[in-house]
Parts: sequence; structure tokens; C-alpha cells
Amino acid sequence: MTHHSSLVTHHLSHRYADGRVALDDISFAIEANECVAIVGPNGAGKTTLFLRLCGVLAGKPGQATISGLDPAVPEHRKKLPEVVGVVFQNPDDQLFSPTVAEDVAFGPLNMGATPDEAKARVTEALQAVGMADAGERVPFQLSGGEKRRAALAGVLAMRPSVLLLDEPSMFLDPRGRRELITVIRALPGTKLIATHDLDLVLDLCPRVLVLDAGKLAADGPTEKYLADVQLMWRHGLEVPFRLRK
Amino acid sequence: MTLAFRHRSVPNSPLARWDARWKLAGAMLAVGGVAALDHLAPAAVALALGLSLLVLSRLPGAWVRSRLFLFALASLPFLLVLPFTLEGDGWDIGPVKISERGLIAGGAVFCRGLAIGCFALLLVGTAPLHHTLAAAHKLKVPGLLVQLTLLAYRYAFLLADEMRRLRVAMRTRGFQLRATRHGYRALGHATGAILVRGAERADHVAAAMRCRGFDGTFHTLARFRTRATDIISFAALVAATAALVLWDRLGLS
Repeated sequence: MTHHSSLVTHHLSHRYADGRVALDDISFAIEANECVAIVGPNGAGKTTLFLRLCGVLAGKPGQATISGLDPAVPEHRKKLPEVVGVVFQNPDDQLFSPTVAEDVAFGPLNMGATPDEAKARVTEALQAVGMADAGERVPFQLSGGEKRRAALAGVLAMRPSVLLLDEPSMFLDPRGRRELITVIRALPGTKLIATHDLDLVLDLCPRVLVLDAGKLAADGPTEKYLADVQLMWRHGLEVPFRLRK
Repeated sequence: MTLAFRHRSVPNSPLARWDARWKLAGAMLAVGGVAALDHLAPAAVALALGLSLLVLSRLPGAWVRSRLFLFALASLPFLLVLPFTLEGDGWDIGPVKISERGLIAGGAVFCRGLAIGCFALLLVGTAPLHHTLAAAHKLKVPGLLVQLTLLAYRYAFLLADEMRRLRVAMRTRGFQLRATRHGYRALGHATGAILVRGAERADHVAAAMRCRGFDGTFHTLARFRTRATDIISFAALVAATAALVLWDRLGLS
């Protein structure tokens, strides 16, 4: 953990109301502008970690900070949407407005931007994801890849310094996946990507965190850990084809 | 069952260009006025007014007809029942007596129902729904109500899609809807699955909204600008409605 750290967790734990432990004593630090992947089997706690980091799930103060803000502190939580952007697993959960432009403007307007400022941010964000002409389209009628990029635009319009991406390549065809990888690579800021797509991890993230049953099982260079057959096998994963000997 | 939810483009017309706030206020007053009409003649004129506005709106004929048919269907029972149930002078056809008063009252209800349908289609068809709802917010409709309506509209598409997928999944496993115990059970399970998925989705959407700073306040990009023609159109519609109500109340029909 250094003074450059953008995202820090310190003995982070989370237990659901039914007693299930979703996160158990997780500590790591991510430097500003670093791109890190979180991999692990289903139910490892990846989505719970994201929900804790963005303040949707309540927790104890002092267990996590993002750009100096603690998601468990109510005063900090109000400022959090300007600092951290979350792209959820299913874009249909995120695209809730009647048009793409209204959806992308949702965050900036909530943050107090004027309609003119919000429109400028919509244009900028849609351009960043290659959907400059899609503002008046209806989210329901977008393709899977377009929905994913529109959801990403909605988060980018808030200009967060930290991006949390939950299964960004899920349900995408190869072309949509390639386009998304290009878009994510070009994005500035700190990125934390939870995914089962290990090839995407190899393409984008020099560092990987392996999460299993709520515990941090490994944290280090992607190529080293993803090539470790025993580690991958132990945690319900497989060595990606590119790294197989 | 086929649920065809599709976003439709709005045809260019004087009614589409009418500021949504003035249009909404005018149409709501017109609906209130028409609902208060008792006599057949003013109700028939109100229907003629509604139909004329629909023609002016240049909405696709098939779209208008299919929806007006539903309004007609809802109003039809009054036209069919009242002539046989209200007392008064009339005509005897065999053992059946048709009351003139009932026929006129039924006709008035039928015309009123269709006229209200015309104004409703006008609102829905001549501006995107989110624009009309943003206008409603400007007219002091609570933001939370507007937001909830928008979410319901947005997720109706998704729900329809999920129902379609569920129906296909059931049919691929040989399910055919029959009035049997098994049929009702399967239908109950499918409905339950849709409700559970809906509740889960509501949680996810709420999380996504909170992550983007939602605090219950409704915001929109929609902007409105009042021109002289907007006010004149509003005044004309309100004056026409007031004239119909006066005609109805003064008993000139």
C-alpha cells in the first residue's frame, strides 16, 4: 500500500444476513491507473466485493478506501459515484432510461450537472465507446455488445477515476468482445475487472487477484498465476489456451 | 399470447410540434370535460373532435384503429346493456323492449369512451413517452411517480421478452396450455418465476441507480419552449371542451 494507491482494502470481510460469509479478510492495494483482474469460480465473492466497494452493501468503516473515500462512511458514500463507476454484469439492469442519451445523462444530472453540461458529457462518453450516433436509440433494441458499451458510457459520463467492471465480456459475440476490449484498453484511470474470461485478462490486465470462497488466494503477475495449473485447478479455473504448453 | 412492445417513431405533425406541457394540460382538461358529458350530441361532437385531432396527428391508421377498437370494446357493454335495462318510451320487438332513453345513454357512454381514447392516443402517439412524462413532471407531477412510470415502461419490454423466452422453453418441453391441473400448475410456476426474476432485477436496478448517485430526484435532458401557437392551441382545446360542457349542462341537446 503506497500513497499512490487508488483502491485499498484492509481486512475486508462481508457476511450476508443469512450468515453466509461472502468475503473473508481480504487485503490488497491497487495503484492509480493500474488495470487489475479478479478471477475465481462462481460464488467466489467478486460481485459482493464490487457492491462493498461502491457502497451499495453496508460494512464496517476502515475496511476499504477508494481515492481516499470510505464506502462505509455515509458522508463519503455520497461523493463515491463521482469517483468510482461500476459496470454491472447484466447491462439490462443498468440501462433503465427510455433512451441511451437519457441513460448516459442520468449520473451527471444526479451529480448536479446542468442539461447542457450533461449533454456534452453524453456526447463525449458515447464517442469514447464508439456509439456517437446512438443517443436517441432505445436500450431494449440495442444488441448485446451495444448494451454493454452504452452501460459503460453511462459510467464514463461521470468521469470516475476508478472503474469496476463485472463480467464485461459476458454474453458477447467475438466481435462485440473484441470491440469492448479495445474500448476498455483505451480508457484512462484505475480498472478492476471481475471476469471468467481469462483471455480477456491476458489482453488487458498485467496483474490478477484470485478469489475463492471469499478469500484472496493469490495476487500477482497475470502470466505467472494463470499459467499455474495447480493454482487454477484448485480454484475451479483453467489455464487459458494461450498459456498451455 | 404475443406482447409486441416496440418503440415507435413519432410522425411529424402540428400536434407532434405542440409543446408537450401545453398538450398534456389541454388533453387532460379535455378528458375531464368529456368524462363529465351526459348527453349524446355533445359526446358525439367530442368524439368528432378527438377523431379530427387524430387525423391531424398523422398517426398510422392501423395503429390508431387497433387501439381505438380496444376502447370501443370497453365501452360496448354500455351500448348493449343500457337500452334493455333503462325504463322509458321505446320500441317493442317481440318480447324484448328497447328503451329510447337507454339507447341514447348507451350511445353517450360509447362516444365518451371513444373520445377519451382519442385524447389518450394523441398523448401517447404524438410524443415519446419519456418526453410526455418529463412534461408531466414540469406540471408538478411528483418526480418519484414519473420515475416509476418510466421504469415500468422500460422494463415492460424486458418482461415481455422474458415471458416469450419462458413460453418457448415450456413449449420445447412439450407444454401445451390446457385447462388441466398440470396446465394451471405450470402456468403458476412460470408466473412465479417471472415475479422472482422481476424482484431480483428490481434489486439490481436499484443498486445500479444508487451507484450513479440517484437520490430519488427526477432529472431529464428534455427541454421545453413555449411558443404562441402552443398557447393558442391549448386555449382552443379548452374553449372547445368548455363549450361542450356548457352545451351539455344547459340541456340544449
